[in-house]
Amino acid sequence: MLASISSASVLGATGRPVTVEVHVGTGLPSYQIIGLPDEACRESRDRVRAAVLSSGLAWPTDKRVTVNLAPSGERKTGAGLDVAIAVGVLAAFEQLPSDAAQRYGYVGELGLDGSLRPVPGVAPMVGVLCGREIVVPVASQVEARVVATAAVHPVSRLREIADVLIEGAPWPESALPELAYTEQSSADLADVHGQPIARLALEVAAAGGHHLLFVGPPGAGKTMLASRLVGILPNLERQQALEVTMIHSAAGLTLPPGGLVRRPPFRAPHHTSSVVALVGGGAATLRPGEASIAHGGVLFLDELGEFAPSVLDGLRQPLEDGVIRVARANIRATLPARFLLIGATNPCPCGEAAPGACACGATAKAKYVRRFSGPLLDRFDLRVPVHMPGVDALVAGDRGEPTALVARRVAAARRRSLDRAGVLNGALAPDDLDRHAPIDHDARALLRAEIERGRLTGRGYHRIRRVARTIADLRGEPPDVIGAEIVEEALQFRVRLRSPVPGRVA
Amino acid sequence: MRRVAAGQQVLDAQAAAKMASAPEGAPPDPQRTGALAALASLDGLGHRRLRAVLAHHAPDEALGVIAGTHHAHQLVARLFPVESVAGWRRQLEACPPDLWSERCQAGRITALTAGDASFPASLRADQFPPAVLFVIGTLGGLARRRVAIVGTRNATLHGRQFAARLGRDLAAENVTIVSGLARGIDAEAHHGALTIADAAVIGVVGNGLDRPYPRQNAQLWAQVSEHGALLSEWPPGTAPDAFRFPLRNRILAALSEVVVVVESRETGGSLITAVEAAERGITVMAVPGDVRARGARGTNALIGDGAIPVTNVDDVLTALSIDTRRQRATTFDPRPLPRGVDADVLERVRRLPCTLDEVVTEFQLPITAAAMTMARLERSGWVYELGGWFEAVDPSLESS
Repeated sequence: MLASISSASVLGATGRPVTVEVHVGTGLPSYQIIGLPDEACRESRDRVRAAVLSSGLAWPTDKRVTVNLAPSGERKTGAGLDVAIAVGVLAAFEQLPSDAAQRYGYVGELGLDGSLRPVPGVAPMVGVLCGREIVVPVASQVEARVVATAAVHPVSRLREIADVLIEGAPWPESALPELAYTEQSSADLADVHGQPIARLALEVAAAGGHHLLFVGPPGAGKTMLASRLVGILPNLERQQALEVTMIHSAAGLTLPPGGLVRRPPFRAPHHTSSVVALVGGGAATLRPGEASIAHGGVLFLDELGEFAPSVLDGLRQPLEDGVIRVARANIRATLPARFLLIGATNPCPCGEAAPGACACGATAKAKYVRRFSGPLLDRFDLRVPVHMPGVDALVAGDRGEPTALVARRVAAARRRSLDRAGVLNGALAPDDLDRHAPIDHDARALLRAEIERGRLTGRGYHRIRRVARTIADLRGEPPDVIGAEIVEEALQFRVRLRSPVPGRVA
Repeated sequence: MRRVAAGQQVLDAQAAAKMASAPEGAPPDPQRTGALAALASLDGLGHRRLRAVLAHHAPDEALGVIAGTHHAHQLVARLFPVESVAGWRRQLEACPPDLWSERCQAGRITALTAGDASFPASLRADQFPPAVLFVIGTLGGLARRRVAIVGTRNATLHGRQFAARLGRDLAAENVTIVSGLARGIDAEAHHGALTIADAAVIGVVGNGLDRPYPRQNAQLWAQVSEHGALLSEWPPGTAPDAFRFPLRNRILAALSEVVVVVESRETGGSLITAVEAAERGITVMAVPGDVRARGARGTNALIGDGAIPVTNVDDVLTALSIDTRRQRATTFDPRPLPRGVDADVLERVRRLPCTLDEVVTEFQLPITAAAMTMARLERSGWVYELGGWFEAVDPSLESS
C-alpha cells in the first residue's frame, strides 16, 4: 500500500532529487499532494488521475490517496513529477509491481490522454538521479542522454511504462527524433567591410577574454560586429559544455541535435530586460537569467546606456566571480555566469560622434556617459570606437578575413596564454603581470608618461598590460617581453569618452 | 499688437518728451537702478512698452503710475490697462524696488536707459534697442573698434582654436571683442582675447547678470566683467530661457562693427546674429570650412549669401580698414616636425578630423604602425583624440 518513487525537480541550474512517496489506504476517499507543491505541481492531481484512467488502468477511487514529495521542506515546482506520481499511485495500489517500479527514476509531464510531455530542465534532473535508469519523455531523450550515466528509456505513453513493468516487455525502441533545430549559421567575419580596428578588437577580446565596449553612432555596425564574436571563439571544453547544457536545459532552451552545447552561446537581451531576466531568479525554480545562459559565451548588451542602472549593477557580481548567487526568502541557488561581456553604446544621445556634428548639450552628454560609467566601465578592457565605414569600404568588393582564419589565430593565442599562466590574459592578476606579461624599458616609460599626463589610471595601467599581452600572443611568434609598439597598439583600444578639460583650448 | 504699434508711435514722439535720464558723470544711483530692475522684471510689460514709458517718465514715476500715486502721461496712459496694472502691483509688492536695488548692488550691477549718456550710441540709434541695459564693468571698450566673434557651442577643436586665435590677434590690435559667453566658440574668443594684457571685451548674455550661464564659464564671466563689460537687457535673477538668446543676439550684433561667425550648423543660433547684423548694415564675415563638416554648413551658407570669408586676422582687420602692414612677432612652434608618413597623416587630419580606421585604410598601414603614428602625433601635440576622432591642433597660444 506504500510506494516510493525517485524523481527530481530543478532549482537554478541544478537538479534536486525528489522522492515521491504514495500511500493508498482505507479511510474517507480522498486524494492529496503534500510536500510544498506549487500550483502546477498541485494540478498534477487531475492530470495524473485522467492519464491513469485514459491508459486503461484502475484508479483507487474508494481509497485515501496521499502523495508526499520529500524532502517536504523544499518547494516543488512544475509538472515534471507527474509521471513519478502516476507510477507511485499505481504501484501503491498494486496495479504495478512495486519493486520493478522503484528501480527507475521518472521525469516528465502527463497529458490527460496518458501521453508523456517534455519539461524544461531534464538535463540537470537526470544529472542528479545518476546511477539509476531513467524514464523520460521521448522529446527529452537527447537532453537526458547527454548527462545520464545509466540507460535512458524514452517513452511516449504511460501505458508503455505499465506494459514494461507488469509484463516485463522490453522498453520501446525510439529513433532519435528529427529536431527542428539548425546550427546557428554563425555570421562570417568576411561580411564586415572595412572596420580594421573593430575587427582587431574582436580578435583580441576573443583571444584574451577581455570585455569589450563598442562606442559608435547608430548604423556603424556595432551589432553586426558583436554577433560575429562567437564565431571566432573555440568550442567549449567538455566540462564547460556540460555546465552550459544544464543551464540551457533548465532555462528551457532548445538544445542542439547532439544534446550537448558545444558552441559558445551568444545572448543579446533587449535593453528593457529586468534584473530578474538578466541575472536569474523570479519563479520558485530560480530560472537562470540571460547572464547565466551566456555562460561560456558572449553576453551582448546593445544600447548599454539604456539598461536600467539596477540591471547593470546586477552584472557586477558575475563579472567579478563568474557566478550569480540568487537568494530568495528560503531558497538560494548558485548559477554559473562566466561570460564575455560586449557592450555597445552611442557616444551621446544623438549618436553623432564626429567633431562638430553632435547636437547634444554638455549636460545631456555627461548624463548619458555617466549612466554606464563608473564600476561597469572599468570592467571593459577594450573601449573601441566604431565609425561609420566609408563609402569606399562598403562598396569595395574585397572581403575581410574570414572567421575560420581568425578563429585559428584566436585558438593559438588562447592556448599560449593557458599554457603560460593557466588563465586567459584577461584574468591575469596584477601581481602576475610582471611574470607573465613583462614589458621592456621603452614600453614602461611610455606607460609612465601616459599616467603622468593623466590619460591612464592605475587600473587602466594593468588593463593595458593585459591587452598588450594578448596582442602579442596573437602574433605569429609572440615575444616574451612586450615592446613599446604593442603597448602603443593596446593604448588605441582605450578611447576617451569625455574631454578631460572641457572646452578650453586657449 | 496694436498696443505695441502705439508704443512705437509714442516712442517716435520722444524727441518732444522729457527724457528719463540721469545727470552725466554722476555715480550710479542705486535707487534708480532698483526701480529700473523692478520695471524690467514686470511680466508682460515688454521692451517696447517699457521703452515708451521710460521716454516720458522717470523710473520712480513709472512705478508711481503702476502704484496709482502718479498720473500717467497722456501719451502713455493707454499703455497701462487696468487688468495688467493689478498684476504688476502684486509683483511689485512681492519684490519692491528696494530689494531689487540691494540685489543689483550686491552684484555690482548698474542699469542704463536710452537717456543715459553712457548708453551705447549704436544701440540708441537701433530700431529695436533694449529698454534697460544692465551692466557689470565698464563700457570703455565701446570707444574702440568692435568685432563680434560668435559660433556654435558644439565646436570642433579647430573651430575653437581659430576663435581663440582670432580673439587674441584682434585684441592685440586694440579691437574690442564682443561675444555671447556661450560654450564653444563664444567662450574661446574671449579666452583668446583675455590672453592680451589690456584687451577690451564685452559679453552680451541672455539671462540675469548675477547668474553665470553656463556654469562652467563662471570664471570667464568674472574676467570679462573685470576687463570690460557684461551686458544684459534682463534684470538679475532671470533664467537662461531659450527664447532670450535670439533677442540677446540683436544687441550683440548692434554693438559690433563686424560680426565673424566661426563655426555654425545650418540652423545655428549664430546665424540669427548674422541676420540681425545684416539687417543693420553691419559687415558679416564667416570662416569657411570643409563642405563635409557639419559645423561648417552654416558658415559656408553665409559665404554663399555674400558674407566675407575669413581665413586669418588680416581679413577682419581689412574689413575694419585697419592697416595690416606691420611687423608681426614670428611665432615659435616648439613641437617637433613630423616626418615621413607621420607628416602625411597629419596633413590628412588637418583637412578633416579622422579616425584610426581611416588612417589604416587610406594609408594602407598595418594597425600597429597607424597606432604608433597617431600616438606620436598626439604625444608631440599635433593631434588630439576624443571619442576615437583625431583633430589637428594649432600651436598653443601661450607658446607663441
